Amino acid sequence: MFLRIEKGSAVPISRQIANQIATLCASGGVRPGERLPSVRELARELAVNQNTVLRVYERLCGEGLLEMRHGQGTFVAARTKRGQLAIHRERLVDELRQIARQAVGLGLSADELHELVAEALEGVEVAHPVAANEDPAS
Amino acid sequence: MNEPVIELQSVYKSFRRTDVLRGMTLQVARGKTFAFLGRNASGKTTTIRMLLGLLKRDAGEIRVLGFDPQRKPLEIRRRVGYLAEDQTMYGWMRVEEIVRFVAPFYPTWDHNLAWKYLRDFELPLRTRIKHLSKGQNVRLGLVLALAHRPELVILDDPALGLDPIMRKQFNRDLITHLQGEGRTVFYSSHLLYEVEPVADEVAILDGGRIVRQAETESLRRDVKQIILGREALAAIRGQLSILDERTDADRMAVTLERADRAVELLGREGIEHRVVDLNLDEIFEAYVVGCRVDETSSAKRQAEIQPVE
Repeated sequence: MFLRIEKGSAVPISRQIANQIATLCASGGVRPGERLPSVRELARELAVNQNTVLRVYERLCGEGLLEMRHGQGTFVAARTKRGQLAIHRERLVDELRQIARQAVGLGLSADELHELVAEALEGVEVAHPVAANEDPAS
Repeated sequence: MNEPVIELQSVYKSFRRTDVLRGMTLQVARGKTFAFLGRNASGKTTTIRMLLGLLKRDAGEIRVLGFDPQRKPLEIRRRVGYLAEDQTMYGWMRVEEIVRFVAPFYPTWDHNLAWKYLRDFELPLRTRIKHLSKGQNVRLGLVLALAHRPELVILDDPALGLDPIMRKQFNRDLITHLQGEGRTVFYSSHLLYEVEPVADEVAILDGGRIVRQAETESLRRDVKQIILGREALAAIRGQLSILDERTDADRMAVTLERADRAVELLGREGIEHRVVDLNLDEIFEAYVVGCRVDETSSAKRQAEIQPVE
């Protein structure tokens, strides 16, 4: 699982981690049933407080995206348990709305904004196959 | 077990005519990684030296692990791992020599742990200290500070002089070797973006006292910037706790505490506004250089005009 922390960002570290894991789950970057790194491992890897990672895992478990199996670790939940993905969708739509508002404020036209989003998407599509390579089934 | 590991109550300290601390109050709970933030010369090192009994306070109370450091400085130094800002070690000693030299000072020194840290930190045992890099120096300082298994570790700006790669490695060491083992860590820093991922709690020192102590995440939820019309602000100003404000034509950008309540209020009043999330640097700046209008800051300014005797 590749995560990236942007230091000094206005987005809190915990939200950065949570959003990226949620995105990986949604995009298939991590598969249902896949075991995530332990709190200790991920904290060390990202150089982030263990409590922060633990809270993120707990929250994502609460949202049904992950599940903690006692003594075994944290796993990506099966798709059927992911009814609450709606939460993440809502969150995303919210953020998009804010971005749209900012774009209008900057005087961008709808076409210009669409173009920017398309460009951003291209950047993401490059990252995808890398994540998919980790998946032996694909 | 529930009593704080570090406790300062209305501590005052001045050097000649300079008041460094003016009624500083602070509590650090057991097991926390606590970041102590302030501008240069704000009194961070003075505070740390008092915690270790290396400096005397003028007034107030200090407890470290339940002891008054002024009365029991040796007890404190035996139980606390300390890394000074300008750690000076005998340059002519080799790494392995200084480890053997320091060990007998601590009854709880753990030789195996010391060698393990030396290996983990990839320190060259036969090299003389004066030939170590800045990063190796800090790491050696850490080995000496940690090998007696202290329950409390006090680090004075450990990131100072480390490059970004070494800082990340240092943060990892801190997370694995200290947080992971449940120890209390109190460290000062001036690099806020380095502190945020690591610290459970932060305290901001300014004007000789703590202007805010909070959990890192709740601080970011609590302090935000809100952009709204100048007239709308004038109507509700009294109900907000504003840290800083800027004007742009007829709009104002206010940085404030208790953002949740402010947003709720704005919603109730039907005032159009925009909420901006801030990073820790911006929050810090609002506290230490923001133009506050509340009474604490005017009292502070007063104090600056008429030095307290």
